[in-house]
Amino acid sequence: MHRGLVDEDEVVIEVDDHTVSGRRGDSVAVALLTAGISTLRHSPRLGAPRGIFCFMGSCQECLVVINGKRQLACEVLIEAGMSVRTTELP
Amino acid sequence: MNSRVELAVLGAGPAGVAAALAASECNVSVLILDRSASAGGQVYRRPTGPLGAQQLKKWPDEVKGERLREQLRSSAVSCRFERAVWSVERGFRIDTVGPAGVETWEAERLLVASGTTERVIPFPGWTLPGVMGLAAATALLKSQRVLPGQRPVVAGSGPLLWAVASGIVAGGGMPAAVIDLADTRRWVSSLPALFSRPTDLLKGLGWMHSIRRKQVPVISSAAVRKVWREGASLVVEVVERNRDGTLRREGQERRLSADALCIGHGLLPAIEVTRLLGADHVFDAQAGGWKPVIDDQQRTSIPGLFAAGDCTGITGAEAAQLEGRLAGLTVAHEAGRITDKLYRMKAQSLRRHNLRVSRVGASMAALMMPAESFIDDIPGDTVVCRCEDVTCAEVQAALAAGAMGLNQIKSWTRCGMGPCQGRVCGDTVAAIASRHLGGRTAVGAWSPRVPLVPLPMDDFVGAFTYHDIAIPKAAPL
Amino acid sequence: MGQIEYDTAVIGAGLMGASTALFLARSGMRCVLLDRSGVCSEASGVNAGTLTMQMTRADLIPYAIKGWEMWTNSQEWLGFNPGVVAAPGLSLAFTEEEVATLEHRAAARRARGAQIELLTASKARSIEPGLSTEVIAASYCPMDGFAKANQTGFALHQALKTARVDIHGACRVERVEPEDRGYAVIGRGEVVRARRLVLAGGVWLEEMLNWLAVRIPIKTLVNQLAVTERIEPVMRTVIGIASGLLSLKQFDNGTVVIGGGWQGKGSRTTGSTQVIPENLIGNVRLAVHAIPHLVHTRLVRAWCGFEAETADAMPVIGEVPGINNAFLIGSIHSGYTSGPFMAKLLAQYILGHEPELPLFDPSRLVDNESYLKNDVN
Repeated sequence: MHRGLVDEDEVVIEVDDHTVSGRRGDSVAVALLTAGISTLRHSPRLGAPRGIFCFMGSCQECLVVINGKRQLACEVLIEAGMSVRTTELP
Repeated sequence: MNSRVELAVLGAGPAGVAAALAASECNVSVLILDRSASAGGQVYRRPTGPLGAQQLKKWPDEVKGERLREQLRSSAVSCRFERAVWSVERGFRIDTVGPAGVETWEAERLLVASGTTERVIPFPGWTLPGVMGLAAATALLKSQRVLPGQRPVVAGSGPLLWAVASGIVAGGGMPAAVIDLADTRRWVSSLPALFSRPTDLLKGLGWMHSIRRKQVPVISSAAVRKVWREGASLVVEVVERNRDGTLRREGQERRLSADALCIGHGLLPAIEVTRLLGADHVFDAQAGGWKPVIDDQQRTSIPGLFAAGDCTGITGAEAAQLEGRLAGLTVAHEAGRITDKLYRMKAQSLRRHNLRVSRVGASMAALMMPAESFIDDIPGDTVVCRCEDVTCAEVQAALAAGAMGLNQIKSWTRCGMGPCQGRVCGDTVAAIASRHLGGRTAVGAWSPRVPLVPLPMDDFVGAFTYHDIAIPKAAPL
Repeated sequence: MGQIEYDTAVIGAGLMGASTALFLARSGMRCVLLDRSGVCSEASGVNAGTLTMQMTRADLIPYAIKGWEMWTNSQEWLGFNPGVVAAPGLSLAFTEEEVATLEHRAAARRARGAQIELLTASKARSIEPGLSTEVIAASYCPMDGFAKANQTGFALHQALKTARVDIHGACRVERVEPEDRGYAVIGRGEVVRARRLVLAGGVWLEEMLNWLAVRIPIKTLVNQLAVTERIEPVMRTVIGIASGLLSLKQFDNGTVVIGGGWQGKGSRTTGSTQVIPENLIGNVRLAVHAIPHLVHTRLVRAWCGFEAETADAMPVIGEVPGINNAFLIGSIHSGYTSGPFMAKLLAQYILGHEPELPLFDPSRLVDNESYLKNDVN
């Protein structure tokens, strides 16, 4: 999704083994969404792909590992150099 | 140890902020707690990024939100954001977890203004990435200023459906279709309420007009039967309903290709705190379901415990502010900061105003409510508890085996044991159980539990040594 | 006078009551099981399910061993899978004082037949690699493990139905009245008649005994438990500590249950309970101290369960003192482990056989004043 980012608004983070460019103020969930990464984890029994659902910190579906800690992608804003790992959880 | 305040407010949305300001203006000491980084709740959620050239225009609510945050900032209210409340006790003691680790707060009185969560009734494919709630889409548009998809299917009923669809259009997207899950006849029955608030009606008509003008396909009285992935796209199968509410048979469905599906079936009052504190609740389907019983001063059945806003029944942001204000003034009056006469006058005026406003809000809420029968359309192999992958058939098997209520279903199937703590599946499982057990009251509600939200262990335990741990005396040998 | 419909009415459908009813029914008795909720819906439904020698009172070890054998062969007596995992148990020491405690506790239990040996820290870590480096020794028992309380409740429910026990759930018994040939069990809107009674009321046993004018004081413990969300395997044994106040286990679904006897607040009269935040933090800190990797997950749920305790902290199983055809069972510390076996013993006794191991005479605990006044039957 083209966003016409101005340099100082751009924030680069590491997602799994590559870099993703987001915008200052994006939540991790949005940065991933706009980078085309929609599968964030897999369900515990059926191993089904899961991603953003409620976007208000309620459903717990967007749980990823941010800088080594389990956090909800929809609640954390991106910061330069942040490391995000997806599809490691339940 | 934080000092004891006269009023603690849980939730910094329109109800909570109005209450905090009203009480604080009368010199009541007020603390407001919210897990977000700023006030506004969901409806006035603060955009977190800059408004760049390519970005979506400001939503009208954004101005209201900014004003609310400004008023709060310049008040004497003590604001503590990024705190998640994990436990509350009568008296009142509030335990939070946040950037400063675990903290404890004390208050003479407590106002719960926790708002709502969204209801989505399960259907095959609803757990796929790319399928999200309608309120979720609103939050993406408003606070993150991004489209949920360039070409999403938008499904729901009531004003939120049209707000999201037109918001997508305004942002440069093109909905693949707008699916109205409601019976169009229900719109008609709500018109009298809408006429009493012409600006709301005009706003709604404006949304619908913008959709029609772009020739976005609109399908009414329909259901999303299933969704699946085909390559990089989602395929959304939509089927219309017969007049009696049943779904039309095979061969009558439409398939839409989309990059996202935004779907919602109404809002649910968030009542975890009022349940935990043991307040009386009543089931009111039209208001969103279970809600705390409150009197005309926003008091619950527990002394010192107030509730205001959508968590007391869905009536919208404007009603929430009025209820919040009434609760704040009631506290001020109770604390002797305003006279009987002044309180009565203001309270009466607020109630009168709220009567008009909440009538509309309630109609809007009723429009969003799914019909009972939607539950019966869920196929057996569809997951109803997302956290634990429990299917509809497994829930029904537990009922057939003799499960007596929601908590026994939880015990036997694990529904509700996952990290969402039953927020997403609770209403669906209760509705399914209700079919077998003869009503929502018979089904019961989740046994209240702490922590109210999942607690990161590292924040919870903090830094400690073995000797810090005050181990109680063990049982005899 | 109404017809006697049942050979035995069991009041209280927790682990003890449900198992007793099951064994009696399998031996041919017509049984009814009553509970104000459902099968294993109260304390037995929220139990940690630990099967342990190391946390069991030394005097109860012979019973716990039998109980463990039953649990790990549950197909035989239950017929439905309660999700039992047999696993070794490690009890940890972090200080020299705690090592001495472990030795003392292990010796007492070995004397009663349990297989418990002391291990060095490195040996303990070879069995449980995730252990904290601050562990200096551990006591080890191969005969430990856990059941899943909620799954057990379901299994018992199914087994009871198959054994044709009539289950009266949502039936709060208000009193019992001795009649000519048995008892009338009176609940709201219903009366059930049985030849004999078994009182299996958990923390409410004292109130039940009052129906028969017998007084045995029962203390209510309010045990706190908590569970994490799913995490990759971080432990494979059942973990405790020398002081006894930690119990840790990881289920096959990846969740870790944390307990050990830290107390919450509660009232058995109202049934309401409340977690004490400081005690939850203390319990969880102990857990993280033992298995440091737990710090990477999240705590999802905490709750309290009632536990009954008599004046001498030993069980009461046998006849209701001074009353004909009425029996009781309860107050068994670490009752989950020995529960099914204790129920089997009582059933043997009721059926007129010599129980495999001695019961626990309730008359030792009767408040004498009321015992002497007792003129019922």
